[in-house]
Amino acid sequence: MAGIDEPPPTPTTALETGPRAKAPLAPLAAIISRRARARLALVLVTAFALLFPILHHNDADIDSAANALSFASLALGLNIVVGFAGLLDLGYAAFFAIGAYAYGVASSFQLQPEWSSVWEPFRWLDLVARMPGATGDVVHFQVSFWLMLPIAAAIAAFFGVLFGAPTLRLKGDYLAIVTLGFGEIVPIVARNIPSVTNGAMGLNGVAPPQLFGYSFGVNATPYYYVGVALVALLIITSLRLKNSRVGRAWMAIREDEIAAAAMGVDRVRFKLLAFAIGAAFAGATGTFYVAKLQTATPEMFMFPVSVMVLVMVVFGGIGSVWGVVIGALLLQVLQSWFLQDLSQWLHALGRLISVDWLQHVELASSIELIFGVILVVMMLYRRDGLIPASRRMPALSIDQQSTQVSRGGFDALRDLAAADRAAAGSLLGITDLTVRFGGLVALKSVSLNVPTHSIVAVIGPNGSGKSTLFNVVTGLVAPDGGSVYFAGKEIGRLPPHRVLERGIARTFQNIRLFPNLTVLENVMIGMHARLGTGAAGALLRLPKTRREEEEARERALEILALFGNRLLPRADHVASSLSYANRRRTEIARAVAARPKLLLLDEPTAGMNPAETRELADQIRGLHQAGLTLVLIEHKLDVVVSLADQVVVLDHGEKIAEGPAETVRSDEEVIRAYLGRGTVYA
Amino acid sequence: MTEYEVLLQQTINGLSLGAMYALLALGFTLVYGILELINFAHFNVFMVASFIGMWALQLFGVSGQTRILTGAALAGVLAFAFVVTMAAAGVIGVAIERLSLRPLRGVRGTAAMITTIGVNYILFNAILLTVGAGSENYPNPLPVVRWQFGHVIVELKEVLIWVVAVVLMVALHLFVNHTRLGKAMRATAQDGEAARMMGVDVDRIIVIAFFLGSALAGAAALIFGLYYNYTSFIVGYTVGLRAFTAAVLGGIGSITGAMVGGLLIGLIETLGGQLIAVRWTDVIIFSILVLVLVVVPSGLFGRSNPQKS
Repeated sequence: MAGIDEPPPTPTTALETGPRAKAPLAPLAAIISRRARARLALVLVTAFALLFPILHHNDADIDSAANALSFASLALGLNIVVGFAGLLDLGYAAFFAIGAYAYGVASSFQLQPEWSSVWEPFRWLDLVARMPGATGDVVHFQVSFWLMLPIAAAIAAFFGVLFGAPTLRLKGDYLAIVTLGFGEIVPIVARNIPSVTNGAMGLNGVAPPQLFGYSFGVNATPYYYVGVALVALLIITSLRLKNSRVGRAWMAIREDEIAAAAMGVDRVRFKLLAFAIGAAFAGATGTFYVAKLQTATPEMFMFPVSVMVLVMVVFGGIGSVWGVVIGALLLQVLQSWFLQDLSQWLHALGRLISVDWLQHVELASSIELIFGVILVVMMLYRRDGLIPASRRMPALSIDQQSTQVSRGGFDALRDLAAADRAAAGSLLGITDLTVRFGGLVALKSVSLNVPTHSIVAVIGPNGSGKSTLFNVVTGLVAPDGGSVYFAGKEIGRLPPHRVLERGIARTFQNIRLFPNLTVLENVMIGMHARLGTGAAGALLRLPKTRREEEEARERALEILALFGNRLLPRADHVASSLSYANRRRTEIARAVAARPKLLLLDEPTAGMNPAETRELADQIRGLHQAGLTLVLIEHKLDVVVSLADQVVVLDHGEKIAEGPAETVRSDEEVIRAYLGRGTVYA
Repeated sequence: MTEYEVLLQQTINGLSLGAMYALLALGFTLVYGILELINFAHFNVFMVASFIGMWALQLFGVSGQTRILTGAALAGVLAFAFVVTMAAAGVIGVAIERLSLRPLRGVRGTAAMITTIGVNYILFNAILLTVGAGSENYPNPLPVVRWQFGHVIVELKEVLIWVVAVVLMVALHLFVNHTRLGKAMRATAQDGEAARMMGVDVDRIIVIAFFLGSALAGAAALIFGLYYNYTSFIVGYTVGLRAFTAAVLGGIGSITGAMVGGLLIGLIETLGGQLIAVRWTDVIIFSILVLVLVVVPSGLFGRSNPQKS
């Protein structure tokens, strides 16, 4: 550890020599920057998408392309739910169905209630028409396609929330099953209420969209362009959401739900948001699809459709926006063009060599077999998909790896907890706290007091209830008795994200970073509660939002700079690639990013060598000097002695001693607890 | 026929269906109990097994419902069909585990489940592309023997189903609770890591779970064919999802739960169809699936905690 006594470097130098600048550059890349290349690719793709129907006059092919685009929209929507938020939805087609039937019923002759004056204002708005019926005048619904597009999205989003709300407690495969159940129920209901949906026969005469008096009819080209616009809109929406506070919150939930909650993410709210937005995408797509087909039958929305969209997402790359679009388009092209051509070639081959069965092979009918193979092969050999959502970073150079550690250099964060510096008295007050797990009493009437601007160490043998204490304070475990006061207010039964909002951040004994997110993203999730961008803000990306995002980024880098160049050169590396000690540091940085008044550190120096331990102890002291109040659980007594103003000793869930480190050290009870009850060894 | 007799008749029908669902549900539960994996491939292991059973019966020249056997010939043919179907289904299950799931051991998240969806599709299309989309007239050598109580009828095939189901379930119970391997299996279900450290070959236990679960699906498949006298490439999904609901209702991971859940779903299907309407039975069953998971995720007999990650 040569660097430990060297003067701290200025963090900015490390910033400028980020890993990207030193990556070996390909000749092309040397001329055109990555950003410019991405722009060029975007322009080419857009130009191709726009010119395709002009260059290629085959109406059937344009029609297939329009269908492919609707599946790309579905894949983008499912990607929000599965890819971003990590909620496996196997009944996604249900929302597709809801959007489809919403438009189908609102623009066809299916529902024809009797005419009455109630409908007059709607007729004035041109939503309905008065039509002569068999027994008198009836209402004909003729809501415009363009109006229904957002309305269907909203209706689907409503059902997304309705289906999502009761299932939020469930994880992974259980959630998948519930959504599968919903996905089954919706088409069956559609089949069983023919008065609204015309049952298995399907809706008749859904109106095609009209634009300035021109009806799209059955001409494929206008649908194609609507499809392109829809996909473009959804791509922009997905990208903007992904690179925002909302997207980070989703990915945090996906990576580690408990840690996300502890870092201030309101799980219920963001999961519902993911469900709602994903469903809205499907609802709008349903409207488009039905307008194009001009009918809707329950069979169009069954389980195979949900699976097909899932295959597209998995194939393209779970969580990767461009990946899922390409995955969807490729699979559709495969299905509607390539397999048919291939079948015809095989038929020709069969005729040529007089093999009978070759002349009857229909590869298009084996598309599901291909889907199955794709799912299995992708899961076994390329779980990240065609275009992985996160790119691998090159390894650091020796120069970047050599340690230059700042000790106590916390000047950058003088404002850390400035507001409460002056306030005296108790910051955290715990009285008679009791927690039971079944028959085990994890905490038994524990009371303790953490004065403002102090460092309190909690020590005790394994299983003495230290981490449980942290879990109760941060809202992860509900207490069975007693109360927790923070800054004079009861917080004992607040959910974790509310506790963090009040100003308590923590680290975990068994490190709970978000493994597939970068170090920078991890730290920025720590700021979640201190930032205000919502879904609408992320979509519109107003100057205020941009500024907030830019400031958050800068502050996150400042916080990383607290640890010298240990984390800064690795800011764009995924957390799972870090060393154990760096993961601990990142977790502390993430907690500090939440601007806490009180920081709870659970064994911060575990697994560190003596030099690293000293370095971290200095950094913890720096945090304290910057104005934070700290509680730490620690086994290394030299750290405890050098840092803590006060030591609390727990044993078997009871507080057995409390006081300055020196007194506690010589306490009879404490020695007995550490050496064992009733030992006879002297 | 009085209303009471109608309900009694539907109860008897429900018990037969329920026995089939229970056998199939056991496969979901055995695998889930050990791997915490929802095995979607189980749906079409059942479907493929129904075809294997059909071919096994056809080996003896049984086709359709015209060639009736009695006595020892009947017992022998049926025993052969059950053994072959169960063994073949078991082998398919083991193959699925070895080829597609073992490489994913230790991968977190839903990768393994997505893989089983893929395998499910492959099995489905393997039959669709080789046998075709038509529905097959199932060979059935059972003589039509009926016992009539008032207007309530009990058929020989139903008695056969009950006997087979009870024998298999008792055998499974004895295996799990009274053998060394069964004990290892229970240990693995509770804590795979601890079991491994105590010398249990966990991979072998997983293979056994897949074999037993799939073999029971094979028995259920033959029962399906003999009961309904047809099979087709699409039967796996509907029957499988109902059986899965049964496993969830009973408490997935619980063997008793799968048995009880299966019977309940069978009864709900027949009585619900009678009292409400057949076209709504699936909505009822899937609503139960959703409600159970949302309200009591551990089901009737389960101990597991589905909220854990």
